[in-house]
Amino acid sequence: MMEEYPIELTINGEKIVSTAKAEESLLRFLRRHGFYEVKGGCEKGDCGTCTVIMNGKAIKSCITLAGQANGKEILTVRGLEKEESGRKLQESFVQHGAIQCGFCTAGMLMTAKAYLDENHQPNKVEIRKAISGNLCRCTGYKKIVEAIYAVAEENQKSK
Amino acid sequence: MEKQQFDFVGKDFAIKNVGKVTGKEVYSGDVSIPGQLYAVVLRSPYAHAEIKKVDYSEAEKMGAICIGPEDVPDYLYNERIVSIPDKTYRDRTVLPKDKVRHVGEALATCAAETEEEALAALKKIKVEWGRKWKPLVTLEEAMEDEAPPIHDYVYLGEEKVKIKNNIACTRDIEVGDMERGFEEADTVVERTFSTPRIYHLQMETKSAVCVPEADGGITVWVTSQGIHNVRILLGNIFNLPLNKVNVKRVTLGGSFGSSIQMNSITPICVALALKAKRPVKLVSTREDDLYDHAKYPLITKLKVGAKKDGTLTAAHCRVWVEIGGHNIQAYPYLGCVAGWFASLYRWKNLKYEGKAVYTNKVPTCAMQGYGNPQINFAVESLMDILAEELGMDPIELRLKNYVGKGEEFWGQGPTVRSIIRSCGVEEMLVEGAKLAEWEKRTLPLEKEGEIRRGIGVARGFHTSGTGGPNPGETIDYSGATIKINEDGSVDVLTALMDHGGGTWEAAAKIVAEVLKVPYEKVGIYNVDTRTTVFDVNTHATRGVYCGGGAVKYVAEKVKELLLNYAATLFKDLPENLELSCNHELGQAVIYPREIPENYKTLGEIAEYAHITSWGTLAYTATLRQKNCPPCFITHFVEVEVNTRTGEISIPRAVILGDSGTILNPALWEGQIIGAFSRGLGFALLEETKYDLKEGKLECKGMITDYKIPTTLEMPKLDNLLVRSAHTYEPTGPFGAKGIGEAALSSVGSAVANAIYNAIGIRFYELPITPEKVLKAWKEKEREESQERVGDKLNEY
Repeated sequence: MMEEYPIELTINGEKIVSTAKAEESLLRFLRRHGFYEVKGGCEKGDCGTCTVIMNGKAIKSCITLAGQANGKEILTVRGLEKEESGRKLQESFVQHGAIQCGFCTAGMLMTAKAYLDENHQPNKVEIRKAISGNLCRCTGYKKIVEAIYAVAEENQKSK
Repeated sequence: MEKQQFDFVGKDFAIKNVGKVTGKEVYSGDVSIPGQLYAVVLRSPYAHAEIKKVDYSEAEKMGAICIGPEDVPDYLYNERIVSIPDKTYRDRTVLPKDKVRHVGEALATCAAETEEEALAALKKIKVEWGRKWKPLVTLEEAMEDEAPPIHDYVYLGEEKVKIKNNIACTRDIEVGDMERGFEEADTVVERTFSTPRIYHLQMETKSAVCVPEADGGITVWVTSQGIHNVRILLGNIFNLPLNKVNVKRVTLGGSFGSSIQMNSITPICVALALKAKRPVKLVSTREDDLYDHAKYPLITKLKVGAKKDGTLTAAHCRVWVEIGGHNIQAYPYLGCVAGWFASLYRWKNLKYEGKAVYTNKVPTCAMQGYGNPQINFAVESLMDILAEELGMDPIELRLKNYVGKGEEFWGQGPTVRSIIRSCGVEEMLVEGAKLAEWEKRTLPLEKEGEIRRGIGVARGFHTSGTGGPNPGETIDYSGATIKINEDGSVDVLTALMDHGGGTWEAAAKIVAEVLKVPYEKVGIYNVDTRTTVFDVNTHATRGVYCGGGAVKYVAEKVKELLLNYAATLFKDLPENLELSCNHELGQAVIYPREIPENYKTLGEIAEYAHITSWGTLAYTATLRQKNCPPCFITHFVEVEVNTRTGEISIPRAVILGDSGTILNPALWEGQIIGAFSRGLGFALLEETKYDLKEGKLECKGMITDYKIPTTLEMPKLDNLLVRSAHTYEPTGPFGAKGIGEAALSSVGSAVANAIYNAIGIRFYELPITPEKVLKAWKEKEREESQERVGDKLNEY
């Protein structure tokens, strides 16, 4: 069996002290610890459903080793509601009909959150590009882009 | 058209599964049971090989629980039991007993405390192979006389059927006199078209969790479009009473038809759990999933005759489909293809011949359209070719010949025929042409430059469900229990599945509308087979029309109960009472028609029924819809073809849909745009190619090499226009029909027609990749330059 080593990280503001296996992906580590909101879609880094935020950057947890997250801060979709910018995105997705089956939604929200945190005035074309690494088979993306754009616009107004 | 005022129908509210944005939604792979084992599946490296022995003794020594071919029941089944038993072909067992029939076919399985342990054990399984055959990859080689039989015998219902030339089934239909029809024609056109196998690529891979219960029964959480069919199949396979199998409804992470059938991993998981006497969880990898299901391909040879004025006189349609190693109901598929073909235009005299052929490839199944986008590509391409031959505008030719209101159409195949009662075809073609600026269209010859722009039109339809005046070959009914709680809130218990397109929201709105209860007070949940009546499946674009129709019927029964009970409280007659929604109170209220101020709220009435022990205001029933009205679609698509690179982009599209009353406007539009993106994948990008020698997928089970549209392949947001026709379906719940599959049916055709308009090259094979465009463009340039040389020489 694979070797295990100690790991300490913060997930949604909560400190987790555990062990990880040498070749364990962050995705598998998270799901093993009950963070089922992080979905596996391909485990090859192709589809983006497993996206989480690590120290402010959106990453694909399936091609990140759990060990790489040692000492880092991880935000999953369950932690989004703790932050206003996260809540706004969640509400906007619901209002705009940006969700169908919902399987890509968690990853899509995390990519959007990290992007909007860095980019305050994006247009729709830029948002399209920003989420092009996240696949969605249901929606055709239009309503997802609209939902993200609505939040960006609102953020602008409230400034 | 009837005009109705609605309180809830046609308005947008929050989706019912808000857990999808908070991370709390549970999909089958998220279900975890204390003490569960993790399962993995051993899949065949060979496309067609005899299994001599599967020895898992070494794997079991490592502590794993294993299942091989000899451990599974002999029971032959078809995983898709939507058709009646007499029309259902049965050719498979849980694991293959004699031989494997495609690369990636499940062969054995292991469960252990962790997935790693299970994988380690799996490596110890020894398979002794017997004879190996060269894989039959193409349709042509599979039908050759000397081709090895993939199945010797199968069952059709209870009848044993010999398979000849690997032909799984055929379907031939004739209407009128085709020969005479062609004699009457002034122009006859004939072409051959082909559409590829593609992969559903639903974001969630198929998963199952099974718990063996103390009473000998099982509880199963499973990816499925119809939990009751999974219950019936598992009961039959494992010889369990049907009340001892409880299938839990969990949210679907996309499906597009790939879970109409019970997925192959489901009974594998159950077999393991029964042997282990412990809960087992089986989550497919993406590779497992890619080797599990694909969309039916189609080759179509289509010949059409018309008079000078464009009136159609005859059509001859021959289709071939290679279905892979197992027959997941190609018989109804051939019937439906006939129906989609026959009901698009008034052919008058037609002949249809369909053949489904086994190959050593992944079994194919429905994928949004059940043959509709495939045959539509042939018909709508040929209509454009015919229009050009006749010197007619493509829209004019379509308007002249479409099957519309008052005419008979074939719903799901030739056995389901009914009359069209609502039709927005003309409105959509005429209005769409204006929105898309069709009159500005130029001919291919008039275009120049490296990047050429073209516009194309195509129209399609799909049925809403599979019901007809008489029950046909397809089982189609839904049901629900609806109860009013003591505070006036309402629960809807139904097995009706929701793919995320709004079936649940529609059902909740229908109940809200009938009982005048605010939408937020209507609950609809993940239930299970034990607590619900039968629902066949959310397939065939039947969710709103059939599922919603059944829910409406039950809600009306509850309303009747409610008014009768309220009448005793008001000491009045039920017919003198009025039920309406008081939006200020946020409650349904009942009052004598003449004295509205004398109202009682639904909450008060329900509470009174409770404290006086009258009982619960509740009703349970099922309903079969006796129609399957067509929902129509029209696509106007603009393309830009880069003649230097062969690349195609979509600068603009206008899409018009006819769904009667639209229950969920935002989700309706979302379904149309989603289908458009899948249609673009089908038209331009996707194909699961096979290596001819070994019968393996060229993408090797990875989506790295299987591209689907991302945001960047879609038209820019503001250039994607979606409009609705103004229709009302008299047989539908509040005038509604479906949309789902219709939305995809004519995307590929419209794109191909637009490409022809841009560069003057007709493509007969999807996907139209840059390589194919470039090759065809170079050939065209060469031919044109040769013609020029020829013309020059003629001058001398």
